[in-house]
Amino acid sequence: MKISPVLLNLFFLTCFCAIKAKIVNKNVERSLDLSSQLVKSTIKITAEDTTGKPLKEYVLILNEPNLSYISVTDGSKNEIQARKSNGGLQYVITFGSSSAHQIILVETVSTKNIMPYPEEIKQHEIQFAKYVGLVHLYSNYETYSQKTIVKLGTSNILSHTQVKPFSTATDKLIFGPYENIKALSKQELVIHYENQTPFMTVKNLERTIEVSHWGNIAIQESIQLAHSGAKLKGSFSRYDFQKDGRSSQSAIKSYRTILPSSASGVYYRDTNGNISTSNMNSLNDFIDLELRPRFPLFGGWKTQYTIGYNVPSYEYMYSNGKKYQLKMHLIDHIYDNMAIDKAAIKIVLPEGADNIQLTTPYTINRRQNELVHTYLDTVGRPVISFSKLNLVESHIADFTLNYTFSRVSLLQEPFLVSGFIYIIFVLTIVLLRLDFSIALHSHKD
Amino acid sequence: MNRTPKILNSKVAGYSSLITFAVLLIAWLAGFSSRLFAVIRFESIIHEFDPWFNYRATAYMVQHGWYKFLNWFDERAWYPLGRIVGGTVYPGLMITSGGIHYLLHMLNIPVHIRDICVFLAPVFSGLTSISTYLLTKELWSPGAGLFAASFIAIVPGYISRSVAGSYDNEGIAIFALQFTYFLWVRSVKTGSVFWSAAAALSYFYMVSAWGGYVFIINLIPLHVFVLLLMGRYSPRLLTSYSTFYILGLLFSMQIPFVGFQPIRTSEHMAAMGVFVLLMAVATLRHLQSVLSRNEFRKLFIVGGLLAGVLVFVAVVVLTMMGVVAPWSGRFYSLWDTGYAKIHIPIIASVSEHQPTTWFSFFFDLHILVCAFPVGVWYCIKQINDERVFVVLYAISAVYFAGVMVRLMLTLTPVVCMLAGVAFSGLLDVFLQEDASKRMGSIGHSPAETDEHEESLEKKTLYDKAGKLKHRTKHDPAHDNGISSNLKSIVILAVLMILMMFAVHCTWVTSNAYSSPSIVLAFHNSQDGSRNILDDFREAYYWLSQNTADDARIMSWWDYGYQIAGMANRTTLVDNNTWNNSHIALVGKAMSSTEEKSYEIMTSLDVDYVLVIFGGVIGYSGDDINKFLWMVRIAEGEHPKDIKESDYFTDRGEFRVDAEGAPALLNCLMYKLSYYRFGDLKLDYRGPSGYDRTRNAVIGNKDFDLTYLEEAYTTEHWLVRIYRVKKPFEFNRPSLKAKERHFPPTNFISRKNLKRRKGYIRNRPTVVKGKRTLK
Repeated sequence: MKISPVLLNLFFLTCFCAIKAKIVNKNVERSLDLSSQLVKSTIKITAEDTTGKPLKEYVLILNEPNLSYISVTDGSKNEIQARKSNGGLQYVITFGSSSAHQIILVETVSTKNIMPYPEEIKQHEIQFAKYVGLVHLYSNYETYSQKTIVKLGTSNILSHTQVKPFSTATDKLIFGPYENIKALSKQELVIHYENQTPFMTVKNLERTIEVSHWGNIAIQESIQLAHSGAKLKGSFSRYDFQKDGRSSQSAIKSYRTILPSSASGVYYRDTNGNISTSNMNSLNDFIDLELRPRFPLFGGWKTQYTIGYNVPSYEYMYSNGKKYQLKMHLIDHIYDNMAIDKAAIKIVLPEGADNIQLTTPYTINRRQNELVHTYLDTVGRPVISFSKLNLVESHIADFTLNYTFSRVSLLQEPFLVSGFIYIIFVLTIVLLRLDFSIALHSHKD
Repeated sequence: MNRTPKILNSKVAGYSSLITFAVLLIAWLAGFSSRLFAVIRFESIIHEFDPWFNYRATAYMVQHGWYKFLNWFDERAWYPLGRIVGGTVYPGLMITSGGIHYLLHMLNIPVHIRDICVFLAPVFSGLTSISTYLLTKELWSPGAGLFAASFIAIVPGYISRSVAGSYDNEGIAIFALQFTYFLWVRSVKTGSVFWSAAAALSYFYMVSAWGGYVFIINLIPLHVFVLLLMGRYSPRLLTSYSTFYILGLLFSMQIPFVGFQPIRTSEHMAAMGVFVLLMAVATLRHLQSVLSRNEFRKLFIVGGLLAGVLVFVAVVVLTMMGVVAPWSGRFYSLWDTGYAKIHIPIIASVSEHQPTTWFSFFFDLHILVCAFPVGVWYCIKQINDERVFVVLYAISAVYFAGVMVRLMLTLTPVVCMLAGVAFSGLLDVFLQEDASKRMGSIGHSPAETDEHEESLEKKTLYDKAGKLKHRTKHDPAHDNGISSNLKSIVILAVLMILMMFAVHCTWVTSNAYSSPSIVLAFHNSQDGSRNILDDFREAYYWLSQNTADDARIMSWWDYGYQIAGMANRTTLVDNNTWNNSHIALVGKAMSSTEEKSYEIMTSLDVDYVLVIFGGVIGYSGDDINKFLWMVRIAEGEHPKDIKESDYFTDRGEFRVDAEGAPALLNCLMYKLSYYRFGDLKLDYRGPSGYDRTRNAVIGNKDFDLTYLEEAYTTEHWLVRIYRVKKPFEFNRPSLKAKERHFPPTNFISRKNLKRRKGYIRNRPTVVKGKRTLK
C-alpha cells in the first residue's frame, strides 16, 4: 500500500513529461521483406520534438506477434539503448546525444506471421501465403509522412489491401507516402501472394558443445525439423515427383547448412543410422553442407536428425595461466532464413573446470548446472545448460565462457588407464603364481 | 584358465604357453576383424530381420530394466493379439549385451547399446575359438586345438551368422555350445562334480541363448548311451551325467520360454530315458557286486522286463493324456525333408530351412570339409571316451546340416575341430625329425598373419625335399624313413592349402556374408562409382516421422521386425510367425481383390499397407516374387476363397504380363506393387511399365485405387506405402436419382415472401422490467 503513492507520482510525472514534450514522427520509412517465411522489417523513424527541446526518450510500440529479434540503432548505426516496458510490447528508447532531431533505425525479425493460405494444397499446386499486418507504423505519436515498401519476391499477388496511394513494382508493393497519420491509428494490411520459399521450422534444437583440453571441441546438434508450409492434401505420387521436378515445388528436397571452415569429422545421421545422401563442399571461409533428408519434406511432414563435427580448440579458446575463455557461436546456421522454435544449448567442460561464468549476447533462460559422466570420468564434467525460444539467423552470435582449469588434471585420465592396466597385470601374476586350492588334487594337464 | 597350471619352471613350457597365447590372440583378432567388412563398407548397423527384434528387445530391457522386460507385453506386434515377449524369447542374448552395457556404464563408458549389439557376435567369435581350442585340446592335443581355434575364427560357415551387426542368438550360442561340450568332456574325463556342474551352468547359458540347446540335450545322452553300449560304463560317467542332467534340467526350466518343456516334449525324452537307463545300469552294477551270480541273473531278467514295460506304459499313457506334447513340425522336418513342404508352408517358405546343397558345404568350409573325415578316422582309430563324443557330434551334425542350410552352423565347429586334428596329425608325421622343435611347430595359425607364416617357413627349413603322393598312405607308426625332400614338399603343400583356405574365407566373408541387407550397394558399371540404395530406411523413417504413433501397418511378415525396430509402429504379423492363421489372413488380404481385402483390412484396423517392389531396380527379393507363398499360406487357412491355381496361367506359369492369370492381375498385391508403374518409362527406348525383376511389361497398367491411396514411395520405388482410406473418404459408387431414398420428415417451411426471417419457436416473451417466468 505504501508503494502506490510513489507509483502514482511516477505516472503523473511521465504524463507530465509526455504532455510537455510533443514528439512527432517527421518521416517514417518502412520496408517489409516478406519473400521468405520470416517477416524482416526495417523501420527508419525521423523523430522530432516540436517544442524544440532535446529529445531524450522515445516510446516504440511493437505489436508484432512472435517477435524474434530486434535491434535499435541511430542514424550512424550506433546501437542505442532500448529497454522493454509494459510487458514487452513497448520499447523505451533513450538517446545518448541531446538533439531535438533524432533518427532511429529499428530492425525486427518475426516468425510465424506469414501463414500458408490455403492451408492445404495438392502435390502439384503452388503454395500461397497470406500476411496480415498494418499499413502504418503503429505509433504513440503523430506521423507527418510515411511510406511502406513491401518486398515479396514474386509478382504473383492474388490480392492486397488497397489504401491509396499505392503502386506495384515487379516484386514489390509500395504503400504511400501517406501524410498526417494520427497517433495510435490502425489500418490492417493483408497481402495474399505466392510464396514458394521453404517454410521450415526447427521445432527443437539441442546443441551440445563438448570441450576437451586435448585440443578438440566436439559439436553435436540434434534437430527436429518440420515443413510448416501448406499441408499436403491427398496422396503423394512418386511418379509425378520424379517425372517433373518442378511439379512439387513446395517440397523441400535439400537445403544447405554452413559449418565453420575448420570442421572435420562431420556426420549426419538419425536413429536408424547414417543418412547417406549429403554432399560436403569445403570453401575458403566455411564448409557448405548440402543436406538431403531421407525423404522430401512436404507440408506437414517432419524429420529428425543429428549432425555433428569437430573443430580444433585453438580457434575458440583463449587462456591466461589457469584462466580459460571459450568464445563460440551460441547457435549456428542450419538453413537460410531459419526459424527455431526452441533451442537448448549444453556446454560440457572438462573435468575439474571451476569458477564458470557465462556471458551471452542476449538474454537466455539459464538452467541448473549439471554433471555428466563420460569416458574415464570420476567426479563428472560440469555442464552449463540454457535455453531460448524463437530464434532466427540474427541470433548467431558469440557467447563467452570464462572458467579456471589446472593443467595437471589433464594427466588424471592417462594415469587412471595405466594404473588400471598395471593392477590387472599384477593381479594376473599373483593369481598365476599362487595356488589357492584347498585340497590336494592331481590335474592331468 | 585351464592351460595355466603347467610346469612353469620349464623354458619349453613357457614358450609353448606364449605360442598358445599368441595364436589364440591372433585368432581372436583375425576373427574379429574379418567380421567387420559390413561395418567398414557401410556403417555400424543391425542387419537383416531377426536381429532387429533382438536389438529392439535389448534396447527395451536396457531402458526399462530386467523385470519389466520379463513381463513385457508387446502391443505393437501381432495387432490385435499382441505378443508376450518376455515369455517367448530366449533372453540370453539380451542379458549378455544388457550386462555388458550395464558394466560399461558403471565404468562411465557411455557406449550406445546399438554398438554393443553390433559388435557382440565378433567379440564372441574370439571366445568361441578359445573354447574350441580347449575342447580340441581335451580331445586330441594342444596343437590340434590351436589349429581348430584358428579355423573356427575365420571359417565362413560360422562367420555367416556372426558378422558385425548380425545380432542373433547363434552368435553367442556357438560359444555356449562349444564351452558346454568342453566342460562335459572335462567332466567325463575327470568324473568330478565340479566340472559337470560347470557344464550344467554353461548349458543353462546355452538354453537361455538359443533353441539349439536341444542339440546338446540330445547329443550328451547319446554319448552316454553309446558309451554304455560300448561297455565303457564307469562311476565317472555316472557322476558326471547324473549331476549334469539334474542340474541342467532344473536350470533349463528357469527360462520362461522353455518352462516345462524339458519334462514334457519328445525332444527332451531321450535325455530322461538315458538318465533312467544309466541309473538302472549303475544299480545293476552295484547289485552285481553284492549278489551272487544266479540271483543276479533272475533279478536282471525280471527287473529289466518290468522296468521296460513300466517305462513304455508311462510314456504311452502320458502321451495319450496330452501331458507330453506332440512332436513339433520343425522337428519332423529335421527327419523328413519333404515334410515341411507338404504340411507347413510357412516353414518351407524360409530359405534357410531348405536342404543344403553340396556346393554350400564347400563354400562354407572349403578345405576343412575334405580334411574332416581324416580327423574322424584318427579319432576312431584311437578311440577313448571323449573321442566317442566327438565322433557322435560329427555324425549327427553332418546329418542335420544336410537337412537344413541353417544347421550348417552346428556342423562348422566340429568340422574345424576334426580338421584341426587331421592337420595336426599330418604335421606330427612330417615335422617329426627334430623332436625338440615339435612342440612349437604344431601351433600354427593359418590366419593371414605374416609372423606365423614366417615362423612356419623357418621351421620348414629344417626339412628336406620329398614327394606329395605318399601322404595319405602314411601311417604314423612307420614313417621314419620319409626323405626330407618329401617332408618339405608336403609341408609346403599344406601351407599352400591353408593359405588358400584363408583367402577363400576372406573372399566369402567379404562377398557373401557382409551385406546388411537393409542397405543395398551396387557398383555403377559406367563410372565404377558405388551407389547406395537406402530405400528401406527411407521408408521406415518416413513411417516413424509422419504417421500417427498408433498407426497399424500391414505388410508381409518378413518386414514385421524391421517396421517395429526402425519405424516403431504397430505391425500385424512379424518374423516370429507364431500364429499361422493371422499370417494367412494377411496373405488373403494381399491376394484378394481390392474390395474384398478392404473388408479384411477394416476388420483388422489397418491404417497403412507396405509392399516391397523391386521392379524399378531389379531387386529380386520383392513381394511379387514371394507372392506365391502368401497365396499358399492363405490357401491353407481359407481354401474356399483362395486357390493357388487361380494365380497361374493355363499353362501353369506365374507371370505378371498381359498373359498372366486375371486373379493375379487384379489382386491387391499386384495393384499396390504396380500402381502408376504402367506410366513409368525406365529408359527412352524401352516400353513403359517394364518390370526389370521379372523382365516383362506388366499386364494391368491403367487402374486406379478406390480404397487406398499412395502415401509414400521411396526413391527407387523399392518400398511403397499406401494409406487405407476411411469409409467416408473414398468415392462410393454413385446412386441414381431414382434409387435414392430420403427419410420422411413432417417439417413444413413456414416461410413466405413476407416472413423471410427465421424465428425461434417457443421464444419466451420478454416484458421489460419483469423477470421472465420459468
